[in-house]
Amino acid sequence: MKKLVQDIITNLSVPSITFADVRFTTTDDESIYFEKGNLRYKDASLDSKSLGIRVLINGCWGFAGTTDLSKKSIDYTMLKAISNAKHGSLFKREKVDFKAIDPTIASYMHTPKENPFIMDSEEKIAYFANIATKLTKNEKIVYSNVSASFYRQYKIYANTEGTFTDSLVYDVLPSMMVMASDGRQNYSRKWPGDMNARRGGFEKVRAFEFEKNTDRIIKEAIDLLSAPSIEEERADLIIGASHLALQLHESVGHATEADRIFGMEISYAGKTFVKPTMLGNFQYGSELVNIFSDSTLENGLGFHIVDDEGVPARRADIVKNGILQDQQTSREIAQMLGLEPSSNMLATHADEIPLVRMSNFCLGAGKGSLDELIKNTENGYFVDFTKTWSIDDNRYNFQFTTEIGWKIKDGEIVGIVKEPTYFGITPEFWNSCDAICGEEEWDLHGTFHCGKGEPGQVKHLSHGVAPARFRNVVVNVKA
Amino acid sequence: MQDTFKEKLLEIIDKNPSFKFLFAYSDWETDFLRFYRSQTNYNISKRATALNTTIYKGKKSLSFSITNPTIESLLEKVDEAMITIDALPEDPDFVDIEKDTRKAEERIKANNIEQMSLEKKISYLTKLADAVEPYKFKIYGTFICNNEYTHLITSNGLDKIMRFSPIYFEAKAVSDINQVTVLEAFGSENALSFDIDSIIKSLIGKIKNAQSEVVDVDPGEYEVILAPRCIGEYISYYTWSCCSASSLDHKNTLLEGKLGEQIFPANFTLIDDPRNPMIVNFDYNGEGHLYEKTPIFENGVFKNFLVDSYYANKLNMTENGAQGACLVMNTGDKEFDEMIKSTKKGLFISSLHYMNFINPKESSITGLTRDGTFLIEDGKLTKVVNNLRFTVKISDIINNITEIENKAHTFPQSDNYGQFSINSFSMPHVKVKAFNISSSTKTV
Repeated sequence: MKKLVQDIITNLSVPSITFADVRFTTTDDESIYFEKGNLRYKDASLDSKSLGIRVLINGCWGFAGTTDLSKKSIDYTMLKAISNAKHGSLFKREKVDFKAIDPTIASYMHTPKENPFIMDSEEKIAYFANIATKLTKNEKIVYSNVSASFYRQYKIYANTEGTFTDSLVYDVLPSMMVMASDGRQNYSRKWPGDMNARRGGFEKVRAFEFEKNTDRIIKEAIDLLSAPSIEEERADLIIGASHLALQLHESVGHATEADRIFGMEISYAGKTFVKPTMLGNFQYGSELVNIFSDSTLENGLGFHIVDDEGVPARRADIVKNGILQDQQTSREIAQMLGLEPSSNMLATHADEIPLVRMSNFCLGAGKGSLDELIKNTENGYFVDFTKTWSIDDNRYNFQFTTEIGWKIKDGEIVGIVKEPTYFGITPEFWNSCDAICGEEEWDLHGTFHCGKGEPGQVKHLSHGVAPARFRNVVVNVKA
Repeated sequence: MQDTFKEKLLEIIDKNPSFKFLFAYSDWETDFLRFYRSQTNYNISKRATALNTTIYKGKKSLSFSITNPTIESLLEKVDEAMITIDALPEDPDFVDIEKDTRKAEERIKANNIEQMSLEKKISYLTKLADAVEPYKFKIYGTFICNNEYTHLITSNGLDKIMRFSPIYFEAKAVSDINQVTVLEAFGSENALSFDIDSIIKSLIGKIKNAQSEVVDVDPGEYEVILAPRCIGEYISYYTWSCCSASSLDHKNTLLEGKLGEQIFPANFTLIDDPRNPMIVNFDYNGEGHLYEKTPIFENGVFKNFLVDSYYANKLNMTENGAQGACLVMNTGDKEFDEMIKSTKKGLFISSLHYMNFINPKESSITGLTRDGTFLIEDGKLTKVVNNLRFTVKISDIINNITEIENKAHTFPQSDNYGQFSINSFSMPHVKVKAFNISSSTKTV
């Protein structure tokens, strides 16, 4: 396959084509899903191959992708990409342009401790069947599910600048949830939350200690049926890492994808309140807030050698001591903004175009443990485990509901609350951050499900976070 | 699908009577033009061939998919699956796969990737961009043509072909000055009905409204007029969440035990109508069941859940194959202009963004307005309003409909993910009282 990719690049290395790149992926996906204790489906899409060819001609991109790797199909795909660029250039006013970069030639092969694709299938099913059965043992639990997805992708990337890399990665995404009902109302609890993807193999599934947490989520879901709601209008919130990862994702991660500044995603994903003039001076958060994109972190789902336009992995400091410093960019957009490309141009499969995407997007650690932070909080709530999320077109006005909250009084947890809902304006919220827990609480939390783009793509990525406290947040929003 | 491949699928079914097979062979292609700032962003072509297979042995099942399948790769995977399936636990609730062998009348459909060539797309977009330029607006959006073929073959004798070639066009006009945005869309399988002049006329009308002052409004309850795509989006969320047989099984709908009861006012009728001439038509649902006209609410009375074969068996319900992909709401007796004129103070909402349920059982939801929110004062659209957040129960919205337009409008829907499909709904404008705006975004 490497030869095939190299041959295509050789064919595209002609003066009429300013730049071209070729990607090839083989993807394995396996999903297991139990509902109410029973296996509903076991699904696999293995050895799924695709190829994508992107060319820049007359200042306009053209792209074509295919799953058919026959010579006839590849020739057709190449011609289609060229034709798409040529036709597109007839409706193009601002020509795409970017600086050349030095080529990278490298290979990265990740080996998980327990390869989920070769482990004993019966053992794998039995592991989840056992958990699924345990979740059905309480009559107040009217619905439960257990799911797991296993992913492996081999990728070749090559471009006309001489870059040629290949890589292999493994990711897992396990989850369980219960729903308790008293006939009138339903409350759910998940474990380990919505940012539950990890780079690695089955060892990362075991690390979540599902069995140990089944009784906990059953009890919490049932307790929520009789729990009060938040009564205050405003409150101090400590946000747990699982949910804070999503808060960071929605209100900083997407907001600092620079393709949004230029309206490339207006049609679907939206814009951003961030403007180029804010770089270097806008107080995005309090001085404690340091946010970076780092595709060199091997434990994250956003790790890569080069992004999908040949930019080597790197760290970009997006917010430093609270000030907006950088953006997540493509080569084209970096040039428009006068920045160095941040290595964030990524596609989910080879037959999809690369887009500006988060890789490992992180909130830097502060100091101290979560227990210490709770002890140092006079009144407030500790909230975690996402239930609902929503943010506006400009990534400015957000509203989140978590499954559960714990009331804090004089530094102690004194009870739970149901459906804590909070609302905020992005910079006001991040400026209200007055504490971030330390390295001991910091971890990479991942997802398989970041949707963006047209045609749409769901991307694997990670967020490094530790729990943090935000002062005087609007809570108790109700329908 | 080549005849030899089909014969091999039938042979596998014949030779293995202790198993049941469900084969879905698909050949899918898209020509997808993204545009922004009145110019091309990307021209994308994509083609994918896949075979999705599910094998059943008693109450055990196993699924796999193969991209670009060959007879060799199929046989290898089937052999492997017939061994692996023995080790799987049973699903005691599974009874049988789809049994509906009825066929829809085959319809000839043009390949719209050919009908709507790239040259044509570029010429339409150039005309549209030129038309909005004098108003200091630029166009952003997508112009998509798909050509899809799916052949379904099963052990229960289903042998059905589904063909689609929908066109999806969505153009946003965005102000160079303040990013105020308005929207126009087209969705159909009939390329001849694409009328760029009428799209330009409608978009320019909206641009004229969008040139007024931008203001903010306080949170609170408002009388609102919802554009067809907005009421359609609320209703589809409600239908998929509260009216599905799976929600009944999951004890997550307040409609349990309410079939035949008056749920909403008599002015509300909702039909899942896959042959409606206004919208993209479907012959079958995803399982191959004949997709037929199914009333969901009739004069406010709850008539049907969406029932697939699995939940029909599990819950002892009658399968109807409805899937909520072709929702059509009744029209009323008001002219749209009249609805605006009769509003003393209110909001006109053009489009919605990022909705998510807070509590699906109660149908409480939050989300935002986008692409043109307007203040109505003394019967006129007077000002552009910043995008707003709403936190509402969809059941309250339907209960609070006070006026319904006498005309229906079609709008397309697609999530654009994977080998995506395109469907459409037909809805009128509606006026709704006491609509809860919970905050402003302070931006447009």
